[in-house]
Amino acid sequence: MAYRCFRTRIVPLVCTRGVPAVLAWALLALAAGGPGAALAQSTQDDRALLTRYCVGCHNDRTLTAGVSLQGVDFDRVGEHAGEVELWEKVIRKLRTRAMPPAGRPRPSEAQYEGVVARLETAIDAAAADPNPGRRPAVHRLNRAEYANAIRDLLALDVDTRALLPADDSGYGFDNIADVLSVSPMLTERYLSAARKISRLAVGDPNLAPSTEIFTVDKYLKQDARVSDDLPFGSRGGLAVRHTFPVDGEYVVRIYLARTYDGRLRGLANRHELEVRLDGALVETLTVGGPLLDASGAEQRRDYRNSADDAQEVRFTVPAGPHMLAVTFVDQAAVLEGMRRPHYAVTSYEYAGDQSHDPGIGRIELRGPYNVTGRGDTPSRRAIFSCRPPAGAVPSGPEEVACAREILGALGRRAFRRPLDGGDLDMLLRFFHLGREGGDFDAGIEMALRRVLVSPDFLFRRERDPEGAAPGAPYLVGEHELAARLSFFLWSSIPDDELLDLADRGALREPGVLEAQVERMLADPRAASLVDNFGGQWLYLRNMALVAPDPYAFADFDANLREAMAREMELFLDRQIRRDRSVLELLTSDETFVNQRLAEHYGISNVYGNHFRPVVLEGGLSPRRGLLGKGSLLTVTSYAHRTSPVVRGKWLLENILGSPPPPPPADVPALAENDDSGEPPRSVRERLEVHRENPACAGCHRVMDPLGFALENFDAIGRWRTLTEAGTPVDAAGELADGTPVDGPESLAAALLKRPESFVTTVTEKLMTYGLGRGVEYYDAPAVRRVVREAADDDYRWSAIVAGIARSVPFQLRRGPAS
Amino acid sequence: MIITKMALPRRTFLRGVGATLALPLLDGMVPALSAMRNTAARPQARLYVGYVPNGVIMDQWTPAAEGRDFILPQTLAPLAPFQDQVTVVSGLESEPMFPLPGEGTGDHVRAASAFLTGVHPKKTEGPDIRGGTSMDQIAAAKIGQDTQLTSLELALDPNELIGACEAGWSCAYANTLSWRNPTTPLPMENQPRAVFERLFGDTDDTSQAARLARIREDRSILDSLVHEVDSFRHTLAPADRDKVNQYLDAIRDIERRIRLAELQSHVELPELARPTGGIPDTFAEHARLMFDLQLLALQTDMTRVITFMMSREVSPRTYPELGIPDPHHGLSHHQNRPVQMEKLAKLNRHHIEQFAYFVGRLAETPDGDGSLLDHMMMLYGCGISDGNQHLHMNLPILLVGGSAGRMRGGRHVRVADETPLTNLQLSLLDKVGVPTEKLGDSTGQLKHLSDV
Repeated sequence: MAYRCFRTRIVPLVCTRGVPAVLAWALLALAAGGPGAALAQSTQDDRALLTRYCVGCHNDRTLTAGVSLQGVDFDRVGEHAGEVELWEKVIRKLRTRAMPPAGRPRPSEAQYEGVVARLETAIDAAAADPNPGRRPAVHRLNRAEYANAIRDLLALDVDTRALLPADDSGYGFDNIADVLSVSPMLTERYLSAARKISRLAVGDPNLAPSTEIFTVDKYLKQDARVSDDLPFGSRGGLAVRHTFPVDGEYVVRIYLARTYDGRLRGLANRHELEVRLDGALVETLTVGGPLLDASGAEQRRDYRNSADDAQEVRFTVPAGPHMLAVTFVDQAAVLEGMRRPHYAVTSYEYAGDQSHDPGIGRIELRGPYNVTGRGDTPSRRAIFSCRPPAGAVPSGPEEVACAREILGALGRRAFRRPLDGGDLDMLLRFFHLGREGGDFDAGIEMALRRVLVSPDFLFRRERDPEGAAPGAPYLVGEHELAARLSFFLWSSIPDDELLDLADRGALREPGVLEAQVERMLADPRAASLVDNFGGQWLYLRNMALVAPDPYAFADFDANLREAMAREMELFLDRQIRRDRSVLELLTSDETFVNQRLAEHYGISNVYGNHFRPVVLEGGLSPRRGLLGKGSLLTVTSYAHRTSPVVRGKWLLENILGSPPPPPPADVPALAENDDSGEPPRSVRERLEVHRENPACAGCHRVMDPLGFALENFDAIGRWRTLTEAGTPVDAAGELADGTPVDGPESLAAALLKRPESFVTTVTEKLMTYGLGRGVEYYDAPAVRRVVREAADDDYRWSAIVAGIARSVPFQLRRGPAS
Repeated sequence: MIITKMALPRRTFLRGVGATLALPLLDGMVPALSAMRNTAARPQARLYVGYVPNGVIMDQWTPAAEGRDFILPQTLAPLAPFQDQVTVVSGLESEPMFPLPGEGTGDHVRAASAFLTGVHPKKTEGPDIRGGTSMDQIAAAKIGQDTQLTSLELALDPNELIGACEAGWSCAYANTLSWRNPTTPLPMENQPRAVFERLFGDTDDTSQAARLARIREDRSILDSLVHEVDSFRHTLAPADRDKVNQYLDAIRDIERRIRLAELQSHVELPELARPTGGIPDTFAEHARLMFDLQLLALQTDMTRVITFMMSREVSPRTYPELGIPDPHHGLSHHQNRPVQMEKLAKLNRHHIEQFAYFVGRLAETPDGDGSLLDHMMMLYGCGISDGNQHLHMNLPILLVGGSAGRMRGGRHVRVADETPLTNLQLSLLDKVGVPTEKLGDSTGQLKHLSDV
């Protein structure tokens, strides 16, 4: 078979075999547009500039940081494959103005821009081959992807945190193919999860009763309505979305929250406790009240340790997902006038206080009892596209025909490719095995169980085409492309529309890819970009794990913890859904608060638990964008104080894309204030001591000013004017490029002085996440191209995402090593 | 096996295990279950590894006197009731934990990943992680073959904190101590309920008939999986087969387990309460619940090799319940300030207290001709001595248990400078019946322990 080679400006040479029409399209698409700047020729000036500012340290003799620019070929930048990686390092350092180091003579802004543009253009143009890299051939689904795949395949929400272990991460994300390994423990959990899930999806009328426990965070303040899923006028409690496995009876048992020594709270008054299912009242229970009634008869025994002994409700519920809510009726209006002391929920005073209103500690849900049937659930509707006729012979032709239809559809979605005869035969064998011991549905359940442990379900596979030339790039197959798209934007399996397009080989037809990206971003499943991409890029997932010092931040309750995380999710979701410019991440004056967060931020007139958009203006403008969000400020702090270093490092890595090198060995950590009698010192004072050490100064001069600019936010993101040490906050500093900053707003402005720098970082992070591999130096031309093209579209989210979907590393793959 | 899925809160579970389980098991249950009655006159020793991170305050750890006549200092005092089963080994070091020239930071990562391997891990963030086979897995490959689980790997900390791994190093190096082979780190489980289900299954009907039916189903699935995974594997270039090989190995491992489960399906287990909730609030509660589960695993002879990372390196955990709101790692860089050192010592002792609870449970649990403790070979320690300076010499190392008559305690041993930690581990492998030539940087067994 003949090789076909194409030479274009952006992708100078692609050689492959077969599929010329498709490839021609791809190359046209890949070649569209071009470097923004003309190929300016001023290598003489560049050579002089780099020699003047860089080679003093980066030469063959001193070899600072292991880098020498002595002897590189300035005349043919990018043409020597061995020098490209070095040039990309140079570009990154110059683009982010990280070099020359602060305090050394540096080029003018115009010179910086000129040399970076010319180097980039030269490399992009001179690249001898497009190097798409090689995504690993096998990529295990991570825990979030597994959960979403189950949701999309079986219309079933499962808590995979209980079913599967957490995944290792690399490059800041937990979907990196090479890092996701397989162990016997994980495999056992896969087998167990497959059985539980298939049983829940199909429904098992012989299911024995079991217990689920739902716990209320002990630091949740239950003095008002705590969730949008609870009724107005409710107080405290919890609402859980739970999939009831079969039609039948279930029992919910309620345990009240207790003081540290095990006593119940607030029993002097009578409290009503409601159990609701899908919003409808199931039963009202009561706890507490006067010991004696008006006539002096004993109304209740003193049961301060046992009032919740028999608080349970039995109810009948149809199988499927329902919202179960347990909450108190808010009696604030009834009991108005009683003013109780305010205790922070993390305080010792609160831990022992019995006068507060009672709260819910946890609920246990037991069942099913008196099972009446499998019921009609979304999962069963998703699975059983047909039924064998009544009276069909067990495992007979009619049943097999229906099983074949069901398993064919499930298998195609689960394996993300058309099934072959062997696949179906294998699944039918398991249908028969299950049918032997049960009915038709039990057969389907058994086959489903088999689907869920198949390597085709658990692993994304990318296969080299027959006879792929070693190391040569080729277009990935359409089904693989469909999976790349769906795992990127949905963290899940492709839907039927994507699979149909892939079956027809139509994904790369003109406009199709763009239309699909648009459709997918508008789909609710794109929320995974917030949860998984945003959750990791912005360290949002750490919100569940941070533990601010309860002595220093006694009012950091679970309500605030949840509210901060929710704010960031809503903020990011709005940015992506409204297709804003990614630059707005740093400047947007819109955010979302509920009463708890509004109080924390000092925003007045926000009442209730519901989140609503607010405009950050006037005194609130420092809160604009990511840098003023409580969650980011909290996860980049220590438990007991802020850390300008941690915040600065986070910004360097995740906003500027220029992570600092790790600290040298044997550097003492920052001295903490202690009870030694010395007056406490601010972090700034202590860091200044630290920076007297020249081994530290180089990096800290870059990192610290970024963090200091946020010092007006304390370790849980409150605005403050005094430091932990009681000294006035000094947020002033000078960034590496000499820009003075004195607070969050001037910092955001400084970070956006060269917007393409921030956009490049976002693109690299998205590309890492989208490809499931680290972004390497040879991806730099593709990243630059995404950024350049998105510039014309105001750096909108859709432009960046579509640019990545069109990019060389996303569309192509390098053949196996020879 | 009867495992009722009763709804019991954690406290009741703890009590339940103590009360309902201890009696029937002591009553001849263990011999019936365990293979030891049928095999050797001498009971099989079990290997145990406990790990704590970030170094310890050595002054409060190291006994002043050497030899047999010594007093356990403040940090180790909770082990005093078992002193005749405790050996403190001072002076060991681990050369592979030190940085290579120009490698920079990573002392914590190397401490964890070399602790049981003696191999300097390859510095990388992802694709090409490489450590060494860990000593617990070397033991498991041999003494784990008669038990349903060759080994159990457990932890307390979540490994989900983002940005908590040292720069330039894959988190995989810090998330576990156990390596099946140089490229396969084994994840550690920290959820009590998951541990319980892994040990005793997750089904409700545990009659023998139901269990056998379940075994048949599992076997059919595994049989066909082996074929499918094998052909899946062959569609891949040889260099791409790593993950699929891992999957295939894991499936074979489970097949082996099922074979054993079938052989043992006639054995009845007492009623056990399944832990239902999530992870308990405090370190101590979580640790003790996990220790109870480990005791169960050993009592029922489900496994003979356990590795337990009580906390992970660079752990930022705070212990407000002890009056220590400072993150552990931050505290370990105490700069020799007395206030911080005192807090760290308190924390070190808190860890030992939990471990001592487990040792106590082992001591009171009869096993064969003695107690479980008599048959344990336990290693407890850290890959860092002084956390302030990240030192990997004079490591804090304890040995606990009688190793089925092959280990004599009640000693404080000081080894010559530069003696590799792996030499001790070679000796321990020998004491559990897995003589091994070489482990990482080992140069031979530690002669100090050869007198029993």
